[in-house]
Amino acid sequence: MRVALLTEGGYPSARGASALWCDRLLRGLPGHEFEVYALSRSARQEDRARWQPLPPTVRRVRTAPLFGPPPAQTSARRTPGYGRRERARFREYFAALAEAVCAAGNGTGDGTSEGGERLTDRFAAGLYGLADLAAERGGLAPELRSETAVRLLESACRAPGALRAAHAAGALDLLAVTERLERALRPLSLDWYGTRGTDPGLAAADLCHAVGAGPAALPALVARRAFGVPLLITEYAEHGVRLREHYLRSAAGAGSTGDAAGPAGAAALAPGAVGAPVRALLASFQALLVRETYAQAQVVTPGTAHARRWQERCGARPAQLRTVHPGIDPAPFDAVGEQAGGRAVPRRAADAGPPTLVWVGRPAPGKDLTGLLQAFSLVREALPDAVLRLVELPPAPGAARCGTPDDAGEYGERCRALAARLFPGRAGRRSPVVFEEVRGPLPDARAHAYAAGDVVVLSSAAEGFPGCLVEAMLCARATVSTDVGAVCEVVGGTGLVVPPRNPRALADACAALLADPARAARLGAAARARALELFSVRQNTETFRGIYRELAAARPRRAPEPGSPLVRSAESRAPGRPGGGVRTAAPARASAGPPRRPGWARPDGPGPGSAGPRAGAGKEAKAG
Amino acid sequence: MSAQPRPGRPADPVRGLLRAHRELCERAVHPLEIAAGLEAHGVTDRTAARFRHRDVFSLAEELYARAPHPGAAGTALTEAGRTENAGRAGRTGRTEHGGHAGHTGRTGPGRPGDAPHAVTEGGPGGPGAAAVLLLPLLPGALCAAVLAALSALAGRPPLVLGAVAAAGAVLVPAGAVRAVRAVLFTRPAGVVSAGAHTARVPASLAVWACWLIAYALFGDWLLRELLGGGPDIPGSVPPGVPAHTVLSLALAVAPAVWCAGGFARVARRRLVRSRSLAEFAAGVRPVLAVAVLVFAGCVPLLQRAAAWALDRAPLAHAVAGGQGEPGPVRLWATAALCLLFFAATLLTAHGRGAVVPAGLGAACAAEAVALLSVLAARLPGLSVVARPVEWTVTALGAGAVGLLACTGAALALLAYAAGALTGVWAHHRAAAPT
Repeated sequence: MRVALLTEGGYPSARGASALWCDRLLRGLPGHEFEVYALSRSARQEDRARWQPLPPTVRRVRTAPLFGPPPAQTSARRTPGYGRRERARFREYFAALAEAVCAAGNGTGDGTSEGGERLTDRFAAGLYGLADLAAERGGLAPELRSETAVRLLESACRAPGALRAAHAAGALDLLAVTERLERALRPLSLDWYGTRGTDPGLAAADLCHAVGAGPAALPALVARRAFGVPLLITEYAEHGVRLREHYLRSAAGAGSTGDAAGPAGAAALAPGAVGAPVRALLASFQALLVRETYAQAQVVTPGTAHARRWQERCGARPAQLRTVHPGIDPAPFDAVGEQAGGRAVPRRAADAGPPTLVWVGRPAPGKDLTGLLQAFSLVREALPDAVLRLVELPPAPGAARCGTPDDAGEYGERCRALAARLFPGRAGRRSPVVFEEVRGPLPDARAHAYAAGDVVVLSSAAEGFPGCLVEAMLCARATVSTDVGAVCEVVGGTGLVVPPRNPRALADACAALLADPARAARLGAAARARALELFSVRQNTETFRGIYRELAAARPRRAPEPGSPLVRSAESRAPGRPGGGVRTAAPARASAGPPRRPGWARPDGPGPGSAGPRAGAGKEAKAG
Repeated sequence: MSAQPRPGRPADPVRGLLRAHRELCERAVHPLEIAAGLEAHGVTDRTAARFRHRDVFSLAEELYARAPHPGAAGTALTEAGRTENAGRAGRTGRTEHGGHAGHTGRTGPGRPGDAPHAVTEGGPGGPGAAAVLLLPLLPGALCAAVLAALSALAGRPPLVLGAVAAAGAVLVPAGAVRAVRAVLFTRPAGVVSAGAHTARVPASLAVWACWLIAYALFGDWLLRELLGGGPDIPGSVPPGVPAHTVLSLALAVAPAVWCAGGFARVARRRLVRSRSLAEFAAGVRPVLAVAVLVFAGCVPLLQRAAAWALDRAPLAHAVAGGQGEPGPVRLWATAALCLLFFAATLLTAHGRGAVVPAGLGAACAAEAVALLSVLAARLPGLSVVARPVEWTVTALGAGAVGLLACTGAALALLAYAAGALTGVWAHHRAAAPT
């Protein structure tokens, strides 16, 4: 199959959990061909785009910026071809879009009501109208950056039924919103759809896999509408759902200038775009876009139950949601995990070290290390020789550019000071709290860190998908964690879960496990089994392989050609490359163009058994 | 951790939460924003149960409904908030706040006093006050220096004089371009990333500008020669560079840059304050008119000053081959050229420079047509085509052609500017070309 992977501010230019997952997915599915369509959110991201060796399944990468002035502006002229009629059409579509954006979000935000449905319809009409216009006339930027657009937005803001915040929008706010809309709608003007030039682009894709439901999915929406390409949405961002990320960043932008917060991409909100009207309108646009994306998607795969709840809240139908946990590569942790699992006697009895708690992560206020230290002082009352090792990971490469290291460093210092105060070192004895920094290759070093403890503790007050917890489980360690984010569904029954920000409960759980090594070992073994079954990379890629196949099969069939008794079957789409076949670059549209057929389905083609898949694919290439 | 409200609990547990997350709730533009913020602060569905809510979402909805939203409704607070935001926008593009997205960084309340100032100064990347004040004076000073040097070097071999004059011919326009760029076309540091894609000033502009200046210096002489049957090649040479015109043009750079800069500054302040597009347009139109009128008023004064300076240094007149102070029509023509350049600068500085080459080109074309019509009239039977030019020159003098051409183009550009520069996009921070 030919899969178009759409990203925004992530793979392949940025690093991070989501990009790592993309890389593993592309490497894990050698049977498919991938094309990566990446939207970059900042220049720094683009500079970073020295592609690490791409997986061999990636046929090519196309990027487009979502920042700065539009590329079309270099001509400094009105796009040729925008006549009176096109301008009238633009006004109509943009007015529909603006009306929906200004009025939506009034009320609770669920689009189930009649008014909400009408608004989503208006939004879709405006959006797709603009997409058509962009496809015909080769770009929207000059029109979107015109006074007409601002005026239309203003009249939509002043219309009855518009958001309260929109009523208060001043000239600067309107300008900021129009600019942001122009950037957000920039994917519509791209030449990714095979309408210009010979490159079929998304038109030839069998499946669009969008990472995130926001702007990344916009090209997929266009492709879905124009060519019927199925759409699969995966949301693995650090903050879960795209809309949630937008809200968090918008809230942070209200307090500081916009481009800091948000680990995935800086410059999300332009400086100055932080007034309440601007944030309200942009949030409304994002919400409508996400809602439309969910409405059009065949399958949405949240990474956690928490993300799933958000997606349901944002308009996804329960039927289309399928939770696919992000996978962790178990290989680096196998040695430690097997050793622990094969141990008949608990470790403490064997080498009689002090009972040790381990915390691994990047210090940040959200990790609530102060709470952990307080809890540990309570643990020490029960177990006076207990030791706490705090293993700091180096800052994430993605976070290095938004000033997090300073915060993290400051917080780390505060924690060290607190530890020194709570556990003053006595003469000749080391402090029971040890701060360590990880050195060397990361996964191995982490595995060693987990191996050094009897119980792994996670004290976070807020958490997405706790990768560290899964790693600890893979190392067959018993865990004590707080009930935040996806912790409960990750741990299941294989560890203790306590309420967040409750040092007493945390201390009790830790002390219980430290005092009972046999129980800890049992829990650890169960944890490893659970993690291997549910959170391995293979499980993740296999699930996506299945979803790909299913989506290809469910794609609406075209009528059988005259002269051929066969309709296109799922298998004819699915194999793609298993034998090494090469697809041609012929545009395949839902409405026009001959459908592709495998060689064996052609009257003059080789029989199913007479030739290998390569021969079949070759025929197919000729047919295309 | 029991989900049941105990009798000892306060009747309204949400109020405490509202107080704890007051800023988050007040700033929020949607219940989901509060939900996201609450989750970032460790509020889970289980916590929400304590507040008698099914999940965080419904808790957030109650908070959203109960929290006051000053940003959306009030007028005075909206005003303050907007100026505060604008102030932030202007101060810096980078931020000191990084960090976990869940932790909403908060700065102090807005200081409306400094906000417009910050906007108009254009951030750390903008030009400093000294540059704004001094750079525009550079072309005039350079020109005066060259003229003074010429008068001091009077009597030296023509090669030396020619070298000095050539240096002046290069330095003065370069200084003018530098001043305009430095003061008007810089953008705040926050939008540097845009640099790669920005519009450039088209090259044709330089050609038209050079032609217009050349015509202002030598056009009248050429027209007179043509009308008189000349020029005799290689017999006739221009009598010399009219020092007064050169000096006036160079001096006019300063008020042009100041007026354009002042206009941009005031307009941006208006942009921050305006509550609607119509209000903004209505507010900016008089500012634009004032800027143009101030500049137009400055030019005659500068011409007087130039004449006065040249009278102090009569040698410069002699060396430059000047004809003394030119006639009133030539003065007006130079003033019109200054106005044309001013209009072009204004439009280009606000990203509306697409029409500028057309405007300047039209003026050039008018002048060229006038010259060519005189030549064409020498062909048999075509003497009628030179009639208008001849009539104009006899009635008003040779400078009238340039005066009419430049005035027409300047008025056309200003009329366009009256529409284009009252729109908000013209005052967008990234509007200026590089």
